[in-house]
Amino acid sequence: MQQAVGSVERAQRETPPIGWLQKMLPGSRQRRIREYLTGYLMIFPASLLIFMFGIFPVGFALFVSLHKWRLRRGDFIGITNYVKAVDSLAYVLLFAMGIGAILGAVLFLRKVIQSATERSEKPWLLAIPGFFHAAGLIAFVRWTVLLLPEVLDIAQKIIGVEKTQELFYRLLGEAFKVDHVLSAFYQFLLLTALAVIAGFIASRIWRHPRNLQYQAQLAIVWLATILGVFLLWFTYSEAVRAYQISLEAGTQIAIWPQVITIGSGVLLIVAAWFVWRSAEGQPTNRGFIFRLLGAIMMLVAGWILIAVLPPVIAAGDKDLWSGLKVTAFYSLGTVPFQLAISLFLAVLLFQKLTGSEAFRMMFFLPYVTPYVASAVVFRQMFSIRPQAPVNQLLKALGFDTLRWIQEPEGIFTLIAEGLGFALPEWAAGPSLALVVIMIYSVWVYVGYDTVIYLAGLGNISTELIEAAEIDGAGRWEVFRHIIFPLLSPTTYFLSLIAIIGTFKAFAHIWVMRHELALGTVDTFSVTIFLEFFDKVRYGYASALAFVLFAIILSLTFINNKIQGSRVFYG
Amino acid sequence: MDNSAQENKDRGKKGRKLHALRHAMRHSLTYLILIFGALLAVIPFIWMLSTSVMSLPEATGIRFFPSEIHLENYVNAWEEAQFAEYFWNSVQITLITLTGQITFSVLAAYAFARIDFPGRDLIFGIMLATMMIPAMVLIIPNFLLVTWLGRIGPIPWINNWPALTVPFMGSVFSIFLLRQFFAQVPDELFDAAQIDGAGHLRFLTTVVLPLAKAPLMVIIVLSFMGSWNALAWPMLVTNSPEWRPIAVGLLNFIDEAGQQINMMMAGAVITIIPILILYFFTQKQFTESIARSGLKG
Repeated sequence: MQQAVGSVERAQRETPPIGWLQKMLPGSRQRRIREYLTGYLMIFPASLLIFMFGIFPVGFALFVSLHKWRLRRGDFIGITNYVKAVDSLAYVLLFAMGIGAILGAVLFLRKVIQSATERSEKPWLLAIPGFFHAAGLIAFVRWTVLLLPEVLDIAQKIIGVEKTQELFYRLLGEAFKVDHVLSAFYQFLLLTALAVIAGFIASRIWRHPRNLQYQAQLAIVWLATILGVFLLWFTYSEAVRAYQISLEAGTQIAIWPQVITIGSGVLLIVAAWFVWRSAEGQPTNRGFIFRLLGAIMMLVAGWILIAVLPPVIAAGDKDLWSGLKVTAFYSLGTVPFQLAISLFLAVLLFQKLTGSEAFRMMFFLPYVTPYVASAVVFRQMFSIRPQAPVNQLLKALGFDTLRWIQEPEGIFTLIAEGLGFALPEWAAGPSLALVVIMIYSVWVYVGYDTVIYLAGLGNISTELIEAAEIDGAGRWEVFRHIIFPLLSPTTYFLSLIAIIGTFKAFAHIWVMRHELALGTVDTFSVTIFLEFFDKVRYGYASALAFVLFAIILSLTFINNKIQGSRVFYG
Repeated sequence: MDNSAQENKDRGKKGRKLHALRHAMRHSLTYLILIFGALLAVIPFIWMLSTSVMSLPEATGIRFFPSEIHLENYVNAWEEAQFAEYFWNSVQITLITLTGQITFSVLAAYAFARIDFPGRDLIFGIMLATMMIPAMVLIIPNFLLVTWLGRIGPIPWINNWPALTVPFMGSVFSIFLLRQFFAQVPDELFDAAQIDGAGHLRFLTTVVLPLAKAPLMVIIVLSFMGSWNALAWPMLVTNSPEWRPIAVGLLNFIDEAGQQINMMMAGAVITIIPILILYFFTQKQFTESIARSGLKG
């Protein structure tokens, strides 16, 4: 790679020095192509690695999640893994994704039509090459999906045989020549050839600078439509299969009623939101009130329809459910505390006292330390042994020693027991073991949040604060009405990072989790890893990982919506 | 007239004194809070250090400070508990990853920032989008992929350096950071270099890179922390001490060590020290680079 770039560069140096003006002269085309090639060569190694270990694995994980896969690939089982995780919600989501893809296609098409009519252009015949582009792409995906298992199997065939390059190439060639793979490849070639020919003819017939752009846009519309139809068909066939299985087993399932009730519930809520928005623009009071009432009624009806959701999800995997609960506790128990403490510390440090640098450094120390090392220290400090430091402290203060990282009992239950009364099970709260992990997290992240808050405070103009002080505002008023609102982008950023971080949290929990805590500290990521590492269920673990991905995406999306309306950017 | 002026002056003095007193009190309260917070932040480190030099009975006892210093714990951890091996493994892994990552990222970032080629923004956009993908989605397929690559390739990947380093050499974040920096290099510099007959690669190595010390420092710090922190992935792809990095080594040692808390803490200190040295020597850049990235694990 290095050499290749070197040679391109050498070739470039041999050409006489050019200025930008000469680009217009003949030979510039050649030079431009050389420039393109240099660019592609320079991004090649990084792009290859990112594709191999960052993009391709997402498709591969999807492939794994649709199979029964324990160490080795088993049968294709459709969305069974997802149904096991979230029960019928899997069908609802698949159905919604199909509808969403078709809706997206329609909306995008409308945009294309609008911009075309604005320019009074009629590119509609370009839908034909567009279709072939989309079909070619889909044929390519189909070919890779069929090829993938054959290529994966090479590793199995090679076991026990002497590994040679020839053998590998022979097996690779065989994988490409399996009947259905080959026919998929010919389909792909045919459709691609058609796409190229159709695209070329279209660009000859209608010579227009935006020709290719229209082709691409219409191809996207086709792609989304085909994807949507495929997803709906897939939902249907999966549901039919599930009905058949339940019929044979003599059990009752209700996929379609659930899909319809939950789907219409969501639709009603979305519609209510639009009505609500339009109510704000109503000139008369009566129109405003009617629309508002309508929106509220739709909202209530939507919620009632969605109320079937919790039992549906609860019928899914218990581990997933408890993983989500633990993650929620973990978020609630760490994010607000760590933000409040670090904001307080940042405001104190911002006064430019002597030694504030040293303080900042000490607060930041826990964050710099490798997770595993500091978690090991905490594990010993909060150990069950009565001689461990924290238990010693409790003793010195006159309390009983606790089991800390080995205690599965809820914190509120323990407090209530100490005070001499019993709490119902639902009010148990996070286990004491999880509380230790929360303490650890706050300890680690306060330093980081403080540093970010300090950077945010540095951006606030001192004139504003001085003006307020001249007007007689006290320290609290300045903080409440000037500093805190102006810091809201920082707070937003930190809370988003922290909440998503709790879903991704792994290393320190892995170190501090104890068998005797009975899984009360297993957050969502830990649940996935256990499913993969301990139980060797690759397919199911991949399905859970996609559930995690969906949760993180929707959290980011919701946060972005809130950011638009609540965060003050000054 | 004179009298009242004198009075005013006196009141002013008194007021200033009061003000200074109040100021000092206010600050002493601030200092009290800050010292309390700093103690909470540092106590685990102090306990770790003091336990790491205790004898075993003292370490399992109730003492906070050792009665005599046993430095041989470190020698034992370093030699018998194989921390020396783990340590050098981590150093090698970090160096290999960094070399690859910096070379590839610099090349790609330069092309994205300064060369106009078709599809550039699309490719860059797709790369940025991959930053959203959580590691848990990638870990299973990547494990299968790495196993497969090791089976078919000339060298094994599992239990060897490729599995631990190659997947981390293509870093979107590094490319992004460098691209932002390279895009700010003025065009005049490039025009001048071109008139002198320098091509892209020459311009990159002789003009742009010497200017890019700050973003390169960020990348070094983050990737150092990344490989010192990594747990899940190295746990999967190593099953012998031969290439096991220090974090996994420490975790394994804890499972084996039982109640040898002093040795555990010595191991923890050995794990922490390189990062601390890096932190103390490059304090400012270190803090800034992490603050700018918003990333760790």
